[in-house]
Amino acid sequence: MRLIPAFALTLLFPLTTLAAPAPALKYAVAELPAALRENAHAVERRHDELLTVKSAARTVETVLRATTILDEAGSRWASELVYYSSLNRISYFRGAVYDASGRQLRQLRTQDIRDISLSDGFSLATDARGRVADLSQPTYPYTVEFEYEVISDNPLFYSNWKPQPVEQFSVQEATFTVVMPAGLALRFQEQRLPAGTALAQSTVAGQQVYAWRVQNLTALDEEADAPPVSELTPAVYTAPSEFEVQGHAGKLNSWADLSRWTYELNANRATLPPALVAGMQALVAGETDERARIQKVYKFLQANTRYISVQLGLGGWQTFPAADVAAKGYGDCKALTNYCQALLSAAGITAHAALIKAGSDEHDIRTDFPSSQFNHVVLCVPLTQAAKADTVWLECTDQTNPFGYMGGFTGNRHALLLLPEGGRLVPTPRYGAAENRRQRHADVYLDANGNATAKLRTLRTGLEYDAVAGLAGLELSEQKKRVGNRLALGNFTLDKVAFRPLPASAPVPGLVETLALTLPGLAPPSGKRVFVTPNLLSRLAAPAPAVGERQADIWLDYAFSQLDTVQLHLPASLQPEHLPAAVQLTTPFGTYSSQLLALPNGSIRYIRRLEMPRTRFGRAEYPAYLEFRRKVSAADKAQLVLVKTDA
Amino acid sequence: MYLSLLYRGLLLLGLTGPAAVSLAQAQEAPIKFGKLDAREAAALLAQPTPDSAAAEVLCDFGQSRIKGRQDGFELRFERTARLLIRRSEGYDHATVRVVLYHDQENGREKISQLKGFTYHLAGTQLSKEPLKTEAVFSRKLDEHHDEYAFTLPNVRAGAILEFTYLLTSPFLFNLQDWRFQQDIPVRWSEYRVAIPAFYSYKELTRTYLPFAVNETGIEPYTTSYKQSVDTGYGSSLESKNLTLSTKALTRRWVLKDAPAFRPETHMSTPRDYVSRVDFELERIQFDQNNDPQFQVGSWAQIEKQLLKHEDFGGFLGRDSPLKAAAAALAALPEPVARAKAVRQLLLGAVVYNGTPTMYASAAPRRVLELRQGNAADLNLLLIALLKQAGLEAQPLLLSTRTHGRTQTELPVLSQFNYVVAHVALPDAKELLLDATDANLPAGLLPENCLNHQGRLLGPNGRWVSLAPEANHFVYTQAKLALAPTGGLSGTIRQEYIGYAAAEHRQPVAALRQQWQKRHPDWQLDQSKLPPAAAATSAESTVALDLQARLAGAEAPVATIYLRPLQALSELSNPFRSATRIYPVDFAVAPRLEQYLELTLPPGYAASALPANVQLALPDNGGRFIFNATSSGPEKLTLVSRLQLNKTRYSAQEYEALREFYVKALAKIAEPIVLQRR
Repeated sequence: MRLIPAFALTLLFPLTTLAAPAPALKYAVAELPAALRENAHAVERRHDELLTVKSAARTVETVLRATTILDEAGSRWASELVYYSSLNRISYFRGAVYDASGRQLRQLRTQDIRDISLSDGFSLATDARGRVADLSQPTYPYTVEFEYEVISDNPLFYSNWKPQPVEQFSVQEATFTVVMPAGLALRFQEQRLPAGTALAQSTVAGQQVYAWRVQNLTALDEEADAPPVSELTPAVYTAPSEFEVQGHAGKLNSWADLSRWTYELNANRATLPPALVAGMQALVAGETDERARIQKVYKFLQANTRYISVQLGLGGWQTFPAADVAAKGYGDCKALTNYCQALLSAAGITAHAALIKAGSDEHDIRTDFPSSQFNHVVLCVPLTQAAKADTVWLECTDQTNPFGYMGGFTGNRHALLLLPEGGRLVPTPRYGAAENRRQRHADVYLDANGNATAKLRTLRTGLEYDAVAGLAGLELSEQKKRVGNRLALGNFTLDKVAFRPLPASAPVPGLVETLALTLPGLAPPSGKRVFVTPNLLSRLAAPAPAVGERQADIWLDYAFSQLDTVQLHLPASLQPEHLPAAVQLTTPFGTYSSQLLALPNGSIRYIRRLEMPRTRFGRAEYPAYLEFRRKVSAADKAQLVLVKTDA
Repeated sequence: MYLSLLYRGLLLLGLTGPAAVSLAQAQEAPIKFGKLDAREAAALLAQPTPDSAAAEVLCDFGQSRIKGRQDGFELRFERTARLLIRRSEGYDHATVRVVLYHDQENGREKISQLKGFTYHLAGTQLSKEPLKTEAVFSRKLDEHHDEYAFTLPNVRAGAILEFTYLLTSPFLFNLQDWRFQQDIPVRWSEYRVAIPAFYSYKELTRTYLPFAVNETGIEPYTTSYKQSVDTGYGSSLESKNLTLSTKALTRRWVLKDAPAFRPETHMSTPRDYVSRVDFELERIQFDQNNDPQFQVGSWAQIEKQLLKHEDFGGFLGRDSPLKAAAAALAALPEPVARAKAVRQLLLGAVVYNGTPTMYASAAPRRVLELRQGNAADLNLLLIALLKQAGLEAQPLLLSTRTHGRTQTELPVLSQFNYVVAHVALPDAKELLLDATDANLPAGLLPENCLNHQGRLLGPNGRWVSLAPEANHFVYTQAKLALAPTGGLSGTIRQEYIGYAAAEHRQPVAALRQQWQKRHPDWQLDQSKLPPAAAATSAESTVALDLQARLAGAEAPVATIYLRPLQALSELSNPFRSATRIYPVDFAVAPRLEQYLELTLPPGYAASALPANVQLALPDNGGRFIFNATSSGPEKLTLVSRLQLNKTRYSAQEYEALREFYVKALAKIAEPIVLQRR
């Protein structure tokens, strides 16, 4: 079906005053280029985002999007959620849905829009709310259209335009327009704009207008070990040069600007009750070692406070006074960091708060584009007496976090120091393959029928520790359940679980896990032979082969090392028939070795090492990388054949 | 609505005017708020916490009473609790959330007299800090619910916390329920209710742990209330204080030393397993000689009420734009085919918005305009259309698995949250239809609906079994050739049948990807995918055909060890825990079969084949079969079949069920040894 030409419509309109006017056909699916349907669950037909900066204190974001949903997997695009809070209000929210031919099926009505509280699940109080509309249809394809406008009194954030945010989603046309008032400059950063896409800049009625447009972006496929899609598709990031939130004005031309503003907003909130000041002085009295002094204060913080999130209005940016935390024993990340800073200050130690983008799946901020990219705050304590420059980093919201450890939540990235004169970006601790270590020793006792028992001792340090850190604090029955669910074994009964942390003096935190297992049928017999895979628990499967040509770089963002020793204790009636040959692989993608040794006491020792770096390679290297991973996978499954000597 | 009747009842009871409040011979409360002393605190801290939990509830005590108020009665629910926090992992329990209901007609539930203390023992000194009101936050959850959240101050390891509050409610039909278990251990959980004789509630207790106390008693009951006095000018400006005396039924339950409730795999909903007591209002009767002011209906009465309800009967009675199309289907002679056609008609017109409910959200015309609706919008519309197509269709009420089990003793409407269509067929046969999931064939209800039994309305009202009409069947058929290196290659056909089909009704590319994820060692042939199959009918099975290879050694080997069924396996043991407290509940019984024809390389023969086995669970609970046969020179046929015949297994049956899986998995993992001659 074709669109009715515009003139036909204008002719029809005056003639149909009694009946409702026939609305124009819009977004007919037949008009969609075939290339955009390929690999896609949904196609963005049109996405117009307009950011109008009214003043340093107010912005208006206007969005129109029309998305054709091709199949069930694309139906998440049939609904829209618009956020609001005490600083952001929605001025309108409209929608309509069209069938495949482009005929309008219906318009969204006010009563179809739900108002929901966006509780994050952990906040005691938050003013975050949203309006949700769902235009799902029973038959595919169809097109939804949403239009909304949000007026924000929190212009610390400008829009980030990401027209193709996920895989299997193509874009027919998307535009981004920013209108700046006279005298206010826009700051922006472009990413991966297709060749020929240029910023169009103009002046309209004294206002600066910036406009971008992309067309016909075909859908991406998900690939193993690839960079995140947000890095692979076009984007324009924008930020203010000046802003004002609830009377607090600031500039944002550099990291120092943002640092200064945040510092000032939170300044003079560090007064502690005199008794507590005296308490801190007494706590560190006599302790000469700087690190030990900090550690004592941190321990006090962890033992006496807890994290309770209260995010209301400006409270999202400004800390509660330290005296509040002293009285209640709780606060959010800003309040607890401010409190810890005050405690340290009372103990004669200078510390600085540092903004950070926390999260175990979060990537580093865009360091070359100063803007508000943070969601958390930690404390940075420079050591003044150390021989070489050194820093202790403190996470103030966690009562069990090891002293000085940043981990997967805040490590390996940049943080912005908050200083009165304006701070700079500093890197948080990096954890590499040597720190992110898993070292396991297993004693496996096999009987003549192929059943076994095993004792396992596993040390995990660094980011490997992160994954198990929470287990040690659980009740015993729950520990058993969680550990059991993680074991990559078909048949087992978990008889014993115990955890012991490494001493606080260890360079990176670690946890030793001790398990006792019963493994029925570990080595199934067949005739006079018994088969066992000595690599009990550390099998690394190869990534799925790519469908078609590899598109993205190889991105290995997690460095780790593994060392496994398995001591296989055999009954007298079993002897190895042959031992698989040793394997040694050394590649830029990682190194691997495994070997089996028959010991004089009749037992067999298996040793496996794997070390993977944090690295990045061009897509041409993918076959070589896959080859390496396949060889590792094959070696990991190597089977040991034992023969029954009494058969 | 029945208020005027209520007053008449009160007058008949005889009002005594102000009188001495009679003191019930009440059992002493297990906890007194704010009265903890240092010695008791030391004793509490000295006893080890069960299972080394991070926090425990020392005492949780609730009482519900009915009291008079202005022109009626109200429920008063008091709760007092004491907790011990051992480690920081238990700090979350210092934050308490209470959800309160309100509506236009009857007003709102209110929380008051909220108090709390945090105690710390230092040496022999017990410090005590009060909860401050600024630590209480409220927020709107939805139209009818607000949440009140508060958190106690200065919580540290070793803190003992206490809080108490009073909840008053005008919703007398909703006598506060009680949960005896929490997600931390509870040493003492006690609930008491006192119900004056003119109210009568049906009690629904559910527990897998024994009650330490389960007592019933009678006590004198006195309440005062205020009655508006008609001044004769149309407005009631004055109130009269009146006192009412009768007897009250008292109930008391205590559960001691309850372990933390943690959901286990294969449960319907935690509600069905956690120890609890719920109530349903059965009757309000102020005078034995007169009719009750309220009486829970018979099923016939409930139905009458439902049919009057705007969003149920009202909806059913209204015509929809699909009426003519449905009526045209009456031309199909075969009733099952006709019913399926009606459902198909609706499936093409409306999509489910994911809200399970038994009340429609809009008029049929509007639902069809929106092209989406909740479960009642769709299924009530389905019932209406089935009738218009000349079929004998009735609503069948049920409670979804996530909503919890139904009881059949008392006709209670509120236990249901979902409605499906019941079609009576010739020869006393029947068909249950649901229009929320287009991936399911007609006759299979969504898994969430498979919850014991549902209540059929209409002239033949009765309980109808909701046992699944199909199982979850995954069938693998492979023809593989073995290379002298030990590598395998050939065709694999994966079929998904019954509930497995609905789960896998996806584009071929997605199915391939899922299969590859579960079997990472196989390499799938990259040949062009078959064109996306035209929307397969929900009645058909889903099949996935693959060309696949599994790498062997670099060079030919004289002895090959092979575990082909394990390499193709879709089976894992769902029961990792060695023990279980609560029964196992599969919505749908699983069935997995593998059939493999293996061609050996020339010159190789099996030197040892795994022995054939048959395993059976007691009481025909399930079967596993394994067969390996030589089906010709250089040909082997391997078969495995696992099937469960029930969907529910008691905790006592758990060990056998787990062992059954253990043995089946071990059998599939047994290697075949092949040797070059």
